Amino acid sequence: MNARILLIEDKAGLLETLKSLLELHDYSVITARNGEEGLSMAIQHLPDLVISDIYMPAINGYELLDRFREHAQLCKIPVLITSAKKEDNEIKDAMQKGAAGYLVKPFVFAHLHEQIKKALAKH
Amino acid sequence: MSGQHFGNSTCCVPGIGDKIFRQALKVRTMNSTHTSESNALLSNASNVLAITAHEFKTPLTTITSIVDLLSTKLQTDHHMTPFYEKHLSRITSEIFSLNNMLDEMLTINNILSGSIETRKELLYVEEHLVPLKEQFHSLTDDGETFEINISGTPRKIFASPSQITRILTNLVSNAFKYSRQHAPSVRLDYGDSSLAITIADDGIGIPAGDLPHLFQPYYRGSNTNGIAGTGLGLTIVKTFVSANDGDISVTSEPEKGTVFTLVFRYP
Repeated sequence: MNARILLIEDKAGLLETLKSLLELHDYSVITARNGEEGLSMAIQHLPDLVISDIYMPAINGYELLDRFREHAQLCKIPVLITSAKKEDNEIKDAMQKGAAGYLVKPFVFAHLHEQIKKALAKH
Repeated sequence: MSGQHFGNSTCCVPGIGDKIFRQALKVRTMNSTHTSESNALLSNASNVLAITAHEFKTPLTTITSIVDLLSTKLQTDHHMTPFYEKHLSRITSEIFSLNNMLDEMLTINNILSGSIETRKELLYVEEHLVPLKEQFHSLTDDGETFEINISGTPRKIFASPSQITRILTNLVSNAFKYSRQHAPSVRLDYGDSSLAITIADDGIGIPAGDLPHLFQPYYRGSNTNGIAGTGLGLTIVKTFVSANDGDISVTSEPEKGTVFTLVFRYP
Protein backbone atom coordinates (compact mmCIF):
# COMPACT_ATOMS: atom_id res chain seq x y z
CA MET A 1 0.00 0.00 0.00
CA ASN A 2 1.30 3.50 -0.85
CA ALA A 3 2.25 5.68 2.07
CA ARG A 4 -0.25 8.41 2.91
CA ILE A 5 1.22 11.86 3.40
CA LEU A 6 -0.44 14.88 4.98
CA LEU A 7 0.92 18.09 3.46
CA ILE A 8 0.41 21.30 5.48
CA GLU A 9 1.30 24.54 3.67
CA ASP A 10 -0.47 27.90 3.61
CA LYS A 11 0.80 28.95 0.15
CA ALA A 12 -1.70 27.52 -2.34
CA GLY A 13 0.70 27.36 -5.33
CA LEU A 14 3.36 25.44 -3.45
CA LEU A 15 0.78 23.15 -1.85
CA GLU A 16 -0.68 22.23 -5.23
CA THR A 17 2.73 21.64 -6.87
CA LEU A 18 4.10 19.51 -4.05
CA LYS A 19 0.87 17.48 -3.95
CA SER A 20 1.16 16.73 -7.70
CA LEU A 21 4.85 15.84 -7.32
CA LEU A 22 4.19 13.46 -4.43
CA GLU A 23 1.31 11.85 -6.31
CA LEU A 24 3.55 11.34 -9.36
CA HIS A 25 5.85 9.45 -6.99
CA ASP A 26 2.92 7.20 -5.99
CA TYR A 27 2.17 8.68 -2.58
CA SER A 28 -1.38 9.20 -1.47
CA VAL A 29 -1.67 12.86 -0.44
CA ILE A 30 -4.09 14.81 1.73
CA THR A 31 -3.64 18.54 2.29
CA ALA A 32 -4.32 21.28 4.82
CA ARG A 33 -3.87 25.07 4.51
CA ASN A 34 -2.89 25.80 8.12
CA GLY A 35 -1.77 24.11 11.32
CA GLU A 36 -5.24 23.91 12.87
CA GLU A 37 -6.74 22.22 9.82
CA GLY A 38 -3.62 20.03 9.63
CA LEU A 39 -4.06 18.87 13.20
CA SER A 40 -7.67 17.86 12.72
CA MET A 41 -6.82 16.10 9.41
CA ALA A 42 -4.02 14.22 11.17
CA ILE A 43 -6.36 13.06 13.96
CA GLN A 44 -9.01 12.05 11.42
CA HIS A 45 -6.75 10.24 8.89
CA LEU A 46 -3.66 9.19 10.89
CA PRO A 47 -1.28 9.57 7.91
CA ASP A 48 2.07 7.73 7.65
CA LEU A 49 3.97 11.01 7.42
CA VAL A 50 3.38 14.75 7.74
CA ILE A 51 5.21 17.49 5.82
CA SER A 52 4.60 20.88 7.39
CA ASP A 53 5.62 24.49 6.95
CA ILE A 54 6.49 26.43 10.14
CA TYR A 55 5.08 29.92 9.77
CA MET A 56 1.34 29.55 9.15
CA PRO A 57 -1.83 31.09 10.48
CA ALA A 58 -3.61 29.55 13.49
CA ILE A 59 -1.29 26.80 14.80
CA ASN A 60 2.29 27.16 13.54
CA GLY A 61 4.70 24.31 12.82
CA TYR A 62 6.33 24.41 16.29
CA GLU A 63 2.97 24.25 18.06
CA LEU A 64 1.95 21.46 15.73
CA LEU A 65 5.03 19.45 16.76
CA ASP A 66 4.09 20.02 20.44
CA ARG A 67 0.52 18.85 19.84
CA PHE A 68 1.76 15.76 17.99
CA ARG A 69 4.18 14.88 20.79
CA GLU A 70 1.41 15.13 23.42
CA HIS A 71 -1.05 12.97 21.46
CA ALA A 72 -1.09 9.21 22.04
CA GLN A 73 -1.42 8.28 18.34
CA LEU A 74 0.04 11.32 16.57
CA CYS A 75 3.31 11.04 18.49
CA LYS A 76 4.20 8.00 16.35
CA ILE A 77 3.84 9.89 13.05
CA PRO A 78 7.07 11.40 11.64
CA VAL A 79 6.85 15.13 10.83
CA LEU A 80 9.17 16.75 8.27
CA ILE A 81 9.51 20.50 8.59
CA THR A 82 10.07 22.82 5.61
CA SER A 83 11.01 26.43 6.25
CA ALA A 84 12.72 29.45 4.72
CA LYS A 85 14.57 29.93 8.03
CA LYS A 86 17.99 28.35 8.11
CA GLU A 87 19.29 29.64 11.44
CA ASP A 88 20.76 27.06 13.86
CA ASN A 89 18.24 27.88 16.60
CA GLU A 90 15.24 27.36 14.29
CA ILE A 91 16.53 23.95 13.16
CA LYS A 92 17.49 22.92 16.68
CA ASP A 93 14.09 23.96 18.10
CA ALA A 94 12.26 21.91 15.48
CA MET A 95 14.44 18.84 16.02
CA GLN A 96 14.14 19.13 19.81
CA LYS A 97 10.36 19.25 19.45
CA GLY A 98 10.52 15.91 17.63
CA ALA A 99 10.74 16.76 13.90
CA ALA A 100 11.97 13.82 11.83
CA GLY A 101 13.81 16.18 9.46
CA TYR A 102 14.19 19.83 8.44
CA LEU A 103 14.40 21.13 4.88
CA VAL A 104 15.39 24.70 4.12
CA LYS A 105 13.42 26.40 1.32
CA PRO A 106 14.05 26.42 -1.56
CA PHE A 107 14.83 22.72 -1.94
CA VAL A 108 14.91 20.28 -4.83
CA PHE A 109 12.39 17.43 -4.71
CA ALA A 110 15.19 14.82 -4.66
CA HIS A 111 16.22 16.04 -1.19
CA LEU A 112 12.65 16.05 0.09
CA HIS A 113 12.15 12.55 -1.31
CA GLU A 114 15.30 11.29 0.44
CA GLN A 115 14.03 12.62 3.76
CA ILE A 116 10.58 11.10 3.18
CA LYS A 117 12.09 7.67 2.48
CA LYS A 118 14.39 7.93 5.50
CA ALA A 119 11.57 8.98 7.84
CA LEU A 120 9.19 6.28 6.58
CA ALA A 121 11.89 3.59 6.91
CA LYS A 122 12.56 4.62 10.51
CA HIS A 123 8.95 4.64 11.69
CA MET B 1 51.47 32.22 -6.77
CA SER B 2 50.46 35.45 -5.09
CA GLY B 3 49.14 35.10 -1.59
CA GLN B 4 47.35 36.95 1.18
CA HIS B 5 46.78 35.96 4.77
CA PHE B 6 43.85 37.15 6.80
CA GLY B 7 43.97 35.91 10.36
CA ASN B 8 41.62 36.85 13.15
CA SER B 9 44.57 38.42 14.94
CA THR B 10 44.43 41.33 12.50
CA CYS B 11 40.89 42.16 13.56
CA CYS B 12 40.30 44.28 16.64
CA VAL B 13 36.84 42.84 17.35
CA PRO B 14 36.52 39.06 16.92
CA GLY B 15 33.84 38.12 14.43
CA ILE B 16 33.80 41.30 12.41
CA GLY B 17 36.06 41.65 9.38
CA ASP B 18 37.98 44.77 8.41
CA LYS B 19 35.90 47.04 6.20
CA ILE B 20 32.57 45.60 7.13
CA PHE B 21 33.43 46.27 10.75
CA ARG B 22 34.14 49.92 9.89
CA GLN B 23 30.83 50.12 8.04
CA ALA B 24 28.95 48.62 10.97
CA LEU B 25 30.64 51.08 13.30
CA LYS B 26 29.72 53.95 10.99
CA VAL B 27 26.08 52.88 11.03
CA ARG B 28 26.14 52.61 14.83
CA THR B 29 27.83 56.03 15.20
CA MET B 30 25.20 57.54 12.93
CA ASN B 31 22.56 55.86 15.06
CA SER B 32 23.94 57.33 18.26
CA THR B 33 23.75 60.89 16.93
CA HIS B 34 20.35 60.57 15.29
CA THR B 35 16.97 60.86 16.84
CA SER B 36 15.06 57.82 17.96
CA GLU B 37 12.84 58.30 14.89
CA SER B 38 15.71 57.82 12.45
CA ASN B 39 16.95 54.85 14.50
CA ALA B 40 13.52 53.33 14.15
CA LEU B 41 13.61 54.01 10.40
CA LEU B 42 16.98 52.28 10.03
CA SER B 43 15.75 49.36 12.06
CA ASN B 44 12.51 49.21 10.05
CA ALA B 45 14.42 49.25 6.76
CA SER B 46 16.54 46.37 7.99
CA ASN B 47 13.42 44.44 9.07
CA VAL B 48 11.66 45.10 5.75
CA LEU B 49 14.70 43.78 3.90
CA ALA B 50 14.81 40.65 6.08
CA ILE B 51 11.07 39.96 5.75
CA THR B 52 11.03 40.57 1.98
CA ALA B 53 14.05 38.32 1.41
CA HIS B 54 12.38 35.54 3.42
CA GLU B 55 9.10 36.01 1.55
CA PHE B 56 10.95 35.41 -1.73
CA LYS B 57 11.82 31.89 -0.60
CA THR B 58 8.33 30.46 -1.03
CA PRO B 59 7.90 31.44 -4.72
CA LEU B 60 11.44 30.21 -5.34
CA THR B 61 10.49 26.84 -3.80
CA THR B 62 7.32 26.77 -5.92
CA ILE B 63 9.33 27.38 -9.10
CA THR B 64 11.92 24.67 -8.31
CA SER B 65 9.04 22.31 -7.48
CA ILE B 66 7.32 23.10 -10.80
CA VAL B 67 10.59 22.31 -12.62
CA ASP B 68 10.82 19.03 -10.66
CA LEU B 69 7.19 18.29 -11.49
CA LEU B 70 7.75 18.88 -15.23
CA SER B 71 10.94 16.77 -15.21
CA THR B 72 9.20 13.91 -13.42
CA LYS B 73 6.20 14.04 -15.76
CA LEU B 74 8.42 14.14 -18.88
CA GLN B 75 10.37 11.14 -17.57
CA THR B 76 7.26 9.20 -16.59
CA ASP B 77 5.73 9.80 -20.05
CA HIS B 78 9.08 8.95 -21.78
CA HIS B 79 9.24 12.41 -23.35
CA MET B 80 12.40 13.61 -21.62
CA THR B 81 15.19 14.59 -24.02
CA PRO B 82 18.73 15.86 -23.26
CA PHE B 83 17.53 19.30 -24.47
CA TYR B 84 14.68 19.49 -21.93
CA GLU B 85 16.87 18.03 -19.21
CA LYS B 86 19.64 20.58 -19.76
CA HIS B 87 17.37 23.62 -19.79
CA LEU B 88 15.14 22.54 -16.92
CA SER B 89 18.27 21.97 -14.89
CA ARG B 90 19.45 25.47 -15.84
CA ILE B 91 16.25 26.98 -14.40
CA THR B 92 16.90 25.23 -11.08
CA SER B 93 20.52 26.28 -11.13
CA GLU B 94 19.57 29.95 -11.71
CA ILE B 95 16.95 29.80 -8.94
CA PHE B 96 19.62 28.65 -6.51
CA SER B 97 21.96 31.44 -7.69
CA LEU B 98 19.19 33.94 -6.97
CA ASN B 99 18.60 32.32 -3.60
CA ASN B 100 22.29 32.57 -2.86
CA MET B 101 22.22 36.33 -3.59
CA LEU B 102 19.24 36.71 -1.25
CA ASP B 103 21.06 34.81 1.49
CA GLU B 104 24.12 37.02 1.06
CA MET B 105 21.96 40.13 1.29
CA LEU B 106 20.26 38.79 4.43
CA THR B 107 23.56 37.85 6.04
CA ILE B 108 25.16 41.22 5.35
CA ASN B 109 22.01 42.90 6.67
CA ASN B 110 22.31 40.85 9.88
CA ILE B 111 26.02 41.60 10.23
CA LEU B 112 25.46 45.35 9.80
CA SER B 113 22.52 45.42 12.19
CA GLY B 114 24.59 43.50 14.75
CA SER B 115 22.11 40.63 14.88
CA ILE B 116 24.48 37.84 13.87
CA GLU B 117 24.53 35.14 16.48
CA THR B 118 27.38 32.62 16.61
CA ARG B 119 26.18 29.51 18.42
CA LYS B 120 29.15 27.20 18.56
CA GLU B 121 29.18 23.48 19.17
CA LEU B 122 31.53 20.56 18.65
CA LEU B 123 31.20 19.33 15.06
CA TYR B 124 32.88 17.26 12.37
CA VAL B 125 33.45 19.42 9.26
CA GLU B 126 33.09 16.36 7.03
CA GLU B 127 29.44 16.03 8.08
CA HIS B 128 28.84 19.50 6.61
CA LEU B 129 30.69 18.74 3.39
CA VAL B 130 28.87 15.55 2.40
CA PRO B 131 25.41 17.21 2.01
CA LEU B 132 27.11 19.97 -0.01
CA LYS B 133 28.60 17.33 -2.29
CA GLU B 134 25.09 15.97 -2.95
CA GLN B 135 23.69 19.47 -3.39
CA PHE B 136 26.25 20.40 -6.05
CA HIS B 137 25.67 17.07 -7.76
CA SER B 138 21.94 17.96 -8.06
CA LEU B 139 22.53 21.56 -9.12
CA THR B 140 25.32 21.44 -11.68
CA ASP B 141 24.24 21.01 -15.31
CA ASP B 142 26.28 17.85 -15.81
CA GLY B 143 25.84 16.35 -12.34
CA GLU B 144 29.45 17.18 -11.51
CA THR B 145 30.53 17.40 -7.88
CA PHE B 146 33.77 17.86 -5.91
CA GLU B 147 36.20 15.38 -4.40
CA ILE B 148 36.86 15.28 -0.65
CA ASN B 149 40.32 14.08 0.40
CA ILE B 150 41.12 13.51 4.05
CA SER B 151 44.43 13.02 5.82
CA GLY B 152 44.95 12.38 9.55
CA THR B 153 42.43 11.29 12.17
CA PRO B 154 39.16 13.28 12.06
CA ARG B 155 38.59 15.47 15.12
CA LYS B 156 35.84 17.88 16.04
CA ILE B 157 36.20 21.65 15.94
CA PHE B 158 34.19 24.15 18.01
CA ALA B 159 32.17 26.26 15.58
CA SER B 160 28.70 27.35 14.49
CA PRO B 161 27.20 24.64 12.22
CA SER B 162 25.29 27.09 10.02
CA GLN B 163 28.27 29.42 9.66
CA ILE B 164 30.62 26.54 8.77
CA THR B 165 28.09 25.42 6.14
CA ARG B 166 27.90 28.97 4.80
CA ILE B 167 31.71 29.31 4.63
CA LEU B 168 32.06 26.02 2.76
CA THR B 169 29.07 26.72 0.47
CA ASN B 170 30.45 30.10 -0.59
CA LEU B 171 33.99 28.85 -1.21
CA VAL B 172 32.92 25.67 -3.06
CA SER B 173 30.33 27.62 -5.06
CA ASN B 174 33.02 30.13 -6.11
CA ALA B 175 35.38 27.28 -7.00
CA PHE B 176 32.68 25.79 -9.28
CA LYS B 177 31.88 29.17 -10.78
CA TYR B 178 35.47 29.90 -11.77
CA SER B 179 36.88 26.41 -12.44
CA ARG B 180 37.37 25.41 -16.05
CA GLN B 181 38.44 21.85 -16.81
CA HIS B 182 38.17 19.94 -13.56
CA ALA B 183 35.77 19.97 -10.63
CA PRO B 184 37.11 21.71 -7.52
CA SER B 185 38.82 19.67 -4.83
CA VAL B 186 38.43 19.92 -1.07
CA ARG B 187 41.05 18.63 1.37
CA LEU B 188 40.75 18.16 5.11
CA ASP B 189 44.14 17.84 6.82
CA TYR B 190 43.82 16.92 10.49
CA GLY B 191 47.04 18.07 12.16
CA ASP B 192 48.09 17.81 15.81
CA SER B 193 46.54 21.06 16.97
CA SER B 194 44.35 22.25 14.09
CA LEU B 195 42.35 21.31 11.03
CA ALA B 196 43.31 22.82 7.66
CA ILE B 197 40.62 22.90 4.98
CA THR B 198 41.79 23.56 1.43
CA ILE B 199 39.44 24.41 -1.44
CA ALA B 200 41.19 24.50 -4.82
CA ASP B 201 40.09 25.16 -8.38
CA ASP B 202 41.80 25.32 -11.77
CA GLY B 203 39.96 28.49 -12.71
CA ILE B 204 40.72 31.94 -14.05
CA GLY B 205 42.65 32.88 -10.90
CA ILE B 206 42.78 36.24 -9.12
CA PRO B 207 45.13 39.02 -10.30
CA ALA B 208 47.72 39.93 -7.63
CA GLY B 209 46.37 43.50 -7.42
CA ASP B 210 42.93 42.23 -6.39
CA LEU B 211 44.09 39.97 -3.56
CA PRO B 212 44.38 42.62 -0.80
CA HIS B 213 40.78 43.76 -1.46
CA LEU B 214 39.22 40.34 -1.89
CA PHE B 215 37.29 40.28 1.41
CA GLN B 216 35.93 43.82 1.17
CA PRO B 217 32.16 44.13 0.64
CA TYR B 218 31.05 44.50 -3.00
CA TYR B 219 34.64 44.10 -4.28
CA ARG B 220 34.87 41.92 -7.38
CA GLY B 221 38.02 40.72 -9.15
CA SER B 222 39.07 42.77 -12.19
CA ASN B 223 38.78 39.62 -14.38
CA THR B 224 35.22 38.66 -13.35
CA ASN B 225 33.27 40.72 -15.90
CA GLY B 226 30.31 38.74 -17.18
CA ILE B 227 30.38 36.31 -14.23
CA ALA B 228 27.42 36.73 -11.88
CA GLY B 229 28.07 37.68 -8.27
CA THR B 230 27.35 40.27 -5.58
CA GLY B 231 30.85 40.72 -4.20
CA LEU B 232 29.51 39.84 -0.74
CA GLY B 233 30.30 36.11 -0.57
CA LEU B 234 33.93 36.41 0.54
CA THR B 235 33.13 39.18 3.03
CA ILE B 236 30.69 36.79 4.68
CA VAL B 237 33.27 33.99 4.59
CA LYS B 238 35.91 36.20 6.26
CA THR B 239 33.45 37.45 8.90
CA PHE B 240 32.28 33.93 9.79
CA VAL B 241 35.81 32.49 9.80
CA SER B 242 36.82 35.20 12.30
CA ALA B 243 33.66 34.66 14.37
CA ASN B 244 34.66 31.02 14.72
CA ASP B 245 38.28 31.83 15.68
CA GLY B 246 39.69 30.58 12.41
CA ASP B 247 42.18 31.90 9.87
CA ILE B 248 41.80 32.21 6.12
CA SER B 249 44.47 32.61 3.46
CA VAL B 250 44.44 32.60 -0.32
CA THR B 251 46.99 31.92 -3.04
CA SER B 252 46.21 32.40 -6.68
CA GLU B 253 47.69 32.62 -10.12
CA PRO B 254 45.77 34.04 -13.09
CA GLU B 255 44.81 31.36 -15.62
CA LYS B 256 46.05 28.61 -13.25
CA GLY B 257 43.67 28.61 -10.32
CA THR B 258 42.99 29.62 -6.73
CA VAL B 259 43.48 27.89 -3.38
CA PHE B 260 41.70 29.02 -0.21
CA THR B 261 42.98 27.59 3.08
CA LEU B 262 41.02 27.72 6.32
CA VAL B 263 42.58 26.77 9.66
CA PHE B 264 40.54 25.97 12.78
CA ARG B 265 42.27 25.06 16.03
CA TYR B 266 40.83 22.18 18.07
CA PRO B 267 39.13 23.16 21.35
